[in-house]
Amino acid sequence: MKSFLKYLGIEPERYQLAWISGSEGQKFADVMAHVVAEVKKVGPNRKLREEHE
Amino acid sequence: MSDNTMKAREIAKKLLQDGTVDLVLGWEKGDEPYVSAPTVIRDASETDRLVVDEYCIHDLAALLTDYRDSHDKIAIFAKGCDSRGIVRMIQDRVITRDRLYIIGLNCSGMKDPNEYARAASGMSKITPAKKATKCQSCQYPNPIIYDEILGELQQPGADNRFAEIEKIENMTPDEKYEFFSRELSKCIRCYACRNACVACNCRTCIFDETKPQWVGRATDTVNNMLYHIVRAMHVAGRCVECGECERACPAGVPLMLLNRKLIKDVDQLFGPYQAGLSLEGDAIPPLSRYRVDDPDEFM
Repeated sequence: MKSFLKYLGIEPERYQLAWISGSEGQKFADVMAHVVAEVKKVGPNRKLREEHE
Repeated sequence: MSDNTMKAREIAKKLLQDGTVDLVLGWEKGDEPYVSAPTVIRDASETDRLVVDEYCIHDLAALLTDYRDSHDKIAIFAKGCDSRGIVRMIQDRVITRDRLYIIGLNCSGMKDPNEYARAASGMSKITPAKKATKCQSCQYPNPIIYDEILGELQQPGADNRFAEIEKIENMTPDEKYEFFSRELSKCIRCYACRNACVACNCRTCIFDETKPQWVGRATDTVNNMLYHIVRAMHVAGRCVECGECERACPAGVPLMLLNRKLIKDVDQLFGPYQAGLSLEGDAIPPLSRYRVDDPDEFM
């Protein structure tokens, strides 16, 4: 999927998949922090979205 | 009348008369000389409708979904690509092998009826190609599975299937996005690609569901892109590369550029793997099976 998004010109960092059990609270927090950090790096999304006035 | 047509009629007649099958899926001549349309024949007296010529481009395997709940025994004509489609249908449990009588056709490539229709309209100056685009790079012109076979063995075409893909891979992200959003904005969401597809055999398609509605129905660029991304991912690893989606598309969207990219990825990550080449146990599509040593990279 990441490779496919890259092929379409969409930053693959925006799409992340992780397997986290309900009991893994710390892992969830870590993954989310990682997602936010990665997405912040690539900046605001301008692709695959409609512009509304 | 071609030799193959005569033989096809004979075989179909015999199969219907002796009760081997209940119906025959084949092609019949349409309104124009460049149209050979899919047809269903249940009566031996009607087998004279059948034709096998250079316009039999439609993949009959996609029709098998119509018979998934019946008990009919079916005779089906299959070119190389169609036979991979039949393998797809059997592996996806749409139909069982024992309900099918497959009449293979070694195929030297079909002509694209759309191109000939355009030329005949007088509106286009482009001379139609001797072989449809999807047939030019065909790697499996001879049927993979069959009960009997017509015609002589054919040589595969030049394997330049991934040349276009590599060209796009080398573009910058913005160029890629610009290219695909332009191409996919042409889509009119008629779902002809889905209906022509042998891998799109779900009873309820995600794009038909309204509760929840997974993908917007508007024909704007964004929803079109989402539709095609989701569809490509759904058939990934199962697409038999018959090129029917692209041929069926009335808007000329280059859909195989999406499917071939995923064929390439699946082949590299899980392969070597080409869909629809075998019914053996190992030939299950890589994305449909579980393995401890899965590379995990596809998602």
